[in-house]
Amino acid sequence: MSVTTTAAGFTQESFDRFVAQRNEPEWLRELRREAWQKFESLPMPSQRDEEWMRTDIRTLRLEKFGFPSETIPTSGAAPHGLLTHGVELGGQTIAIDSRPHTARLNEKWAAKGVLFGSLDELVASHGEIVKKHLFRAFTPGYDRFAALHAAAWSGGTLLYVPRGVTVDEPFHMLSALNTGGVDMGHTLVILEDGAEATLLAETTSLVEGGTGLHVGGIELLVGPRARLRYVNFQNWSAGVWHFAHQKALVDSDASLQWTIAALGAKLAKVNQHVALTGPGATAQVNGVMFTEGKQHLAYNTLQHHEASQCRSDLLYKAALQDDSRTVWRGMIRVDEGAQKTDGYQRNDNLMLSEHSRSDSIPGLEILADDVRCTHGSTTGRVDDEQLFYARCRGLTRKEAVRMVVTGFFQQVFDRITIESVREALGLAIARRIREYE
Amino acid sequence: MSEFQAVAKVSDVPDPGKMLVEIDDQLVVLVHCDGAFYAIDDVCTHDGGPLGEGELVGCTLACPRHGAKFDVKTGAALTMPATKPTGTHEVKIEGDTILIKLRES
Repeated sequence: MSVTTTAAGFTQESFDRFVAQRNEPEWLRELRREAWQKFESLPMPSQRDEEWMRTDIRTLRLEKFGFPSETIPTSGAAPHGLLTHGVELGGQTIAIDSRPHTARLNEKWAAKGVLFGSLDELVASHGEIVKKHLFRAFTPGYDRFAALHAAAWSGGTLLYVPRGVTVDEPFHMLSALNTGGVDMGHTLVILEDGAEATLLAETTSLVEGGTGLHVGGIELLVGPRARLRYVNFQNWSAGVWHFAHQKALVDSDASLQWTIAALGAKLAKVNQHVALTGPGATAQVNGVMFTEGKQHLAYNTLQHHEASQCRSDLLYKAALQDDSRTVWRGMIRVDEGAQKTDGYQRNDNLMLSEHSRSDSIPGLEILADDVRCTHGSTTGRVDDEQLFYARCRGLTRKEAVRMVVTGFFQQVFDRITIESVREALGLAIARRIREYE
Repeated sequence: MSEFQAVAKVSDVPDPGKMLVEIDDQLVVLVHCDGAFYAIDDVCTHDGGPLGEGELVGCTLACPRHGAKFDVKTGAALTMPATKPTGTHEVKIEGDTILIKLRES
């Protein structure tokens, strides 16, 4: 496997070299240059910022990483994902260290006008579509990581489904990191009016325990009456820093089911934002987190009701062991005109060890006066009585704990309508449960 | 298995005084008080605040966020809103060098 990144740091010189290496249209170069200026001028987030108060990144050394290079890996087998077992795929992209490795699309979908492949490559062949939509749901100036991503994104995936086309085979995208590698993949999903599609996205590290940096961006643009199911499984190794800005725009009468699963990374700070922009839009957001060691996963979620008669339903469930920590800050924001809103958010945390810690901070900000918005949060330990009962039935303690954890996640698994995803997540979690006294 | 690692010179930290040091990607507050050196996690057990930025009085370190106080010798939480001790690490002096061994988690 060829090494695809250089640890030259993020400097003006390395940025200029990065841009010069890429054969891109001028509008895109200009976007990158603007974002780079923002990156240079914005401060590094610190614990003095409300959003970063519980997330300590003082030991992150950005200079140890660098821009994805143009060296395309030519050798080595493609890594395998976990989500696609037994699934007939409509197409697949694989990127290693933010460089395209594989991109394929079933002919029958291509014939219907569907585009699916590396965003890098499709900028060249379908630049107009990318130009029209890129950064509609991404704010390069939001913080320093967003600016870095906008300046340095590389690889990534584009899914475009034209008006009225229903794709009944899931697409799959896999992003892999070598140790010390950088992933700056940008995901752009565009569903035109009445289109339907499913995209399964996952990440993996090629070296167990390997280090790395992910600074990512995801845009999901769901047109009127369109239906998108999107699964995002973060499964980096425990040495990877993960920063991501993810946003969906859901138009009138469209629906989005967005499932986030996170088992990996040393530290993750994710902003997940769903904006319901047209009347009658619905969004279901599912979160599954299982942490161990000293992992720190922080999720900031926003359900933004911009239009009337929209429905959003968020359920995040986390189980924590060892010294790990999760932070969830969730907000339902209802704009003044968004009457008849139905918004719900819930976060449940299961503490499997004495030293794990979970912070759960739900919030409501409502400017309309005819809405139903509720939220809930629970944090608790494994019930000793349940364990005792299970052990009386002949289970070992570990089997009993595994059963309780599986039961804890069942509520969210029941909402995930893709069987291969349910099975992969269930297995991955079950494998990680330790023996507890 | 962690080992003792050199983090500073004795002359770097006055008595009383403190210094933030990084060991294996972990931040630790090195404190010099009552003629001895101690090392505790840079984490307030109440809200995760950075203890290294707090005020040191004697051998008591206060969290800059909400004022919870910790005994730097034992890590014990002395006042609300913290109720649980913060982590401590072993310190030894060799000549003019201060060494810290991270506790096993």
